[in-house]
Amino acid sequence: MSDEKIQSYAQAILAVASAESNPAQVEDEIYRFSQAVQASEELKSTLSDASIPSVRRQQIVEDLLDGKASQTTAALVSMLVAAGMGSEIKAIADQMIGLGAESRDKAVAEVYSVVDLSPDQQERLAAALKSATGKDVEMKVIIDESVMGGLLVQIEDEVIDGTVRTRLKQLREAF
Amino acid sequence: MKKRIIFASALTGLILVFGLGGNALASGESLGKCSVIEYNEKIEAAELTPQSLSDEASIEVLAEIFDSCIEAPSPIIPEINEVIWGGGAFVVLLALMLWKGFPAVQKIMNERSEKIATDLDEADKAKSEAQAVKTQYEAELADAKSAAAAVIEEARQQAEVLRSDLQERAESEIAEMKEQAAADIDAARERAMGDLQSEVSEIVVGAAERVVEANLDAQAQARLIENYINQVGSN
Repeated sequence: MSDEKIQSYAQAILAVASAESNPAQVEDEIYRFSQAVQASEELKSTLSDASIPSVRRQQIVEDLLDGKASQTTAALVSMLVAAGMGSEIKAIADQMIGLGAESRDKAVAEVYSVVDLSPDQQERLAAALKSATGKDVEMKVIIDESVMGGLLVQIEDEVIDGTVRTRLKQLREAF
Repeated sequence: MKKRIIFASALTGLILVFGLGGNALASGESLGKCSVIEYNEKIEAAELTPQSLSDEASIEVLAEIFDSCIEAPSPIIPEINEVIWGGGAFVVLLALMLWKGFPAVQKIMNERSEKIATDLDEADKAKSEAQAVKTQYEAELADAKSAAAAVIEEARQQAEVLRSDLQERAESEIAEMKEQAAADIDAARERAMGDLQSEVSEIVVGAAERVVEANLDAQAQARLIENYINQVGSN
């Protein structure tokens, strides 16, 4: 899939979201759904399987997001699946998040953690990251039990790794 | 040559036989110094007949006739007729010999001498050729011996070189095998040490992971997050 097509879909979703009363919520819900699809290979293959009727795939999306996301979010994701972009949801969501943050003069910070961060922790972490990198960030917390503990933050190409997994890996390599 | 010799011998024999025979026949016509006619005249004069020879007187008369005719020959000087016949025969024989015999004999001797000389020359030539062949054979034999010695020496040198090469190659291979064996041993030891270290680290890290996981409750997670935020903010 070409980057230009992915960027076009990301810009379209951003335009639709901006028309809503809470565009940040729509962005966040689409991003979280893309993370869920990325984590489940079965779901990813199902949404991108052309042999399954698009109506059926849309129904799956609506069932998954029913009561957990706004109708706008569900409609936008359903539109992507119907357009045959099921396998590119993650790329479109990342592009959308990046473009949205850029429009607000901020950078996206992907935070990998075993547990969700409280608003206070997110606020203090954003301040600490700005102090370290000089950038205002919009955090996207990704629940990843493989990190075992601590946090891993990726801002564009920069990675700040403070996870237990990495420390154990360093310990293994030290032997 | 033999035919000529036989012919000359036969001619000489014939001359001697017929020459001497003629002389004998000539002397057969006389008895002592009386001729046959004189005998007959004396016998007729004595009136002797074959019938009267039976008495002694007639025999004595006949004996006297004989004695009167018989003269003791000279032990040194032959009779004239014999000298004449003998000298003639000798002269004829000498002439024949000088005319035919001596040249033939001389020719035979010359031919014989030439043949002997030729044979001697041929013998000398053959001897020289044999000597040359012998010399050549000896030279070739010497060359062959020299060549054989050279071949043997060359073969010996090649064998020595080959033996030296094989020995060097064997020593080199042995050294390489030793080095390879030493390298294999070192690699195996390092591999074993690495495996052992990996197993040890796996055990230790696995135990650490289990300890960490057992102790990573909500408070520990919150503490790790706080430490992370403080550490990032302090940089």
